[in-house]
Amino acid sequence: MASTAKDARDLFSAMRNAYSKTPTRLKVIDVYILYGLITAFVQVVYMAMVGTFPFNAFLSGVLSCIGTSVLGVCLRMQVNPANKEFKDLPPERAFADFVLCNLVLHLVIMNFLG
Amino acid sequence: MASSSSSWTQTLLVFFFFALPMLCTSFNPDSPSDRRVLVLVDDLAIKSSHSTYLQSLTDRGYELDVKLATDPKLTLQSYGSYHYDALILFAPKVESLGGNLDAAAISDFVDSGHDLILAADETTSDTIREIASDCGVDFDEFEKAVVIDHVKYAITPLGDDHSLIAADNLIDSTVILGSQGIKEPILYRGLGHIVNPTSELGIKVLSASPSAYSGRVGAEITDLPNVSGASMALVSVVQARNNARIMISGSLELFSNQFFESSVQQSGSDDKFEKSGNQQFAVELTKWTLHERGHLKTSNVHHHKIGETNEPAMYRIADNARYSLGIQEWNGKDWQPYQADDVQLQFYMMSPYVLKTLSHDGKGLYFTEFQVPDVYGVFQFKVEYNRLGYTTLNLAKQIPVRPFRHDEYERFIPAAFPYYGASFSTMIAFFVFGIVFLYHK
Repeated sequence: MASTAKDARDLFSAMRNAYSKTPTRLKVIDVYILYGLITAFVQVVYMAMVGTFPFNAFLSGVLSCIGTSVLGVCLRMQVNPANKEFKDLPPERAFADFVLCNLVLHLVIMNFLG
Repeated sequence: MASSSSSWTQTLLVFFFFALPMLCTSFNPDSPSDRRVLVLVDDLAIKSSHSTYLQSLTDRGYELDVKLATDPKLTLQSYGSYHYDALILFAPKVESLGGNLDAAAISDFVDSGHDLILAADETTSDTIREIASDCGVDFDEFEKAVVIDHVKYAITPLGDDHSLIAADNLIDSTVILGSQGIKEPILYRGLGHIVNPTSELGIKVLSASPSAYSGRVGAEITDLPNVSGASMALVSVVQARNNARIMISGSLELFSNQFFESSVQQSGSDDKFEKSGNQQFAVELTKWTLHERGHLKTSNVHHHKIGETNEPAMYRIADNARYSLGIQEWNGKDWQPYQADDVQLQFYMMSPYVLKTLSHDGKGLYFTEFQVPDVYGVFQFKVEYNRLGYTTLNLAKQIPVRPFRHDEYERFIPAAFPYYGASFSTMIAFFVFGIVFLYHK
């Protein structure tokens, strides 16, 4: 029992150590993604309390948050220098894709919001 | 030429002048009291022995046609139209009716909305029993059995045979029996019958007392009587679904002059009444049967949105609607406004979503206002009115109800403000993130 608790604490401290070594750029992206997910979660809780009445507004709000989070994840993958898959992709190109996709997403969201 | 055309118009005028009285006395649905009544008897002496009763009908404007039940020229209808509006069968002994009449023809007569008064006595034939059971009333089949009551028989100058009973178990209804109520007992000698207790259409107007039973006079009882007690009916009425009314009495003598004028005292009670209740009972019940009371008609059914006057083809959820109709009652001479506080309106689609009691203004106009419920579909404005002694009212008017069009909602829905906020905050976050990401060292 005591060993599992110690193992868990060791696990957490190992994770925190490893994470602190990630570049600040990626940490900024992580914060952005986290913000998007928290906002989506808050909206889902609100809908569970109040009901789905303007369902299109609910979908629009939740999907805008989840959509930007997903695009943030893609950006992080493409910009991460430790990622072999995208070694030939310039980070500027990745960022430009991110911006364009977000523009399309928010255009759609504005229309669907009602 | 001119003279021949004027003589032709003259004959036409004379023809109409003489035909007009006949047209006036034919049945008119605007004044539903039946006018022409056929009275079938098996012995023309009934014309004098029951003259007070028949006179009461003639005095109220009915045309009576008294004929023998075996008359070979009897006919109720020819080429689809009926000659009479009501039938009184005071012929209990007749085995086969004359002319083209039989039990089926009389059933058809009632099915087409006409009224029937039928009386039996201890000599009742199978034909009459068959007619009665077509109407939902079953006479006791035990041969020669009459109603006997050893506890509540009548003590009258006519003798006190225990088969002559003084009955007072009347139904409590001012529509059927008149507003004055009948205080004297009613003399009765004849058969008892049963109305199926689950029947919605048959009503026992005069029931026997709990100590009465149906059996042979003077004979020893060896088996349990088929019909006995308070479930045995002496006079009952049936109001059919097409609002035809049928009165069935097990005693023909109930309507006779002798019983009308006799004094009556119930055995076991000290009250002696100078005149029995027979005349008042027979006359009032006949008035009900011939639609002089309790006959309702509806008119002017309207519905519209509050604030408008025309009837829309479709309502929308959360509209305010108003429904009104007029109900009148026939009192024998003209239509009077019907006063009641229990007429209800249902806004119905498979089940009533709205059920409101209509309020009335004293002049026969019934109305109510309500808000259309938050369900869309095809609804009906339904008024179903079913009260003892009154004609049934069954009105239904179909109307569709639609949901909101999407430009009938508010422009910005307050319940959706969090979603609006979240979407805009995501956009701002994206913008801020972009700046941070680009200009961070």
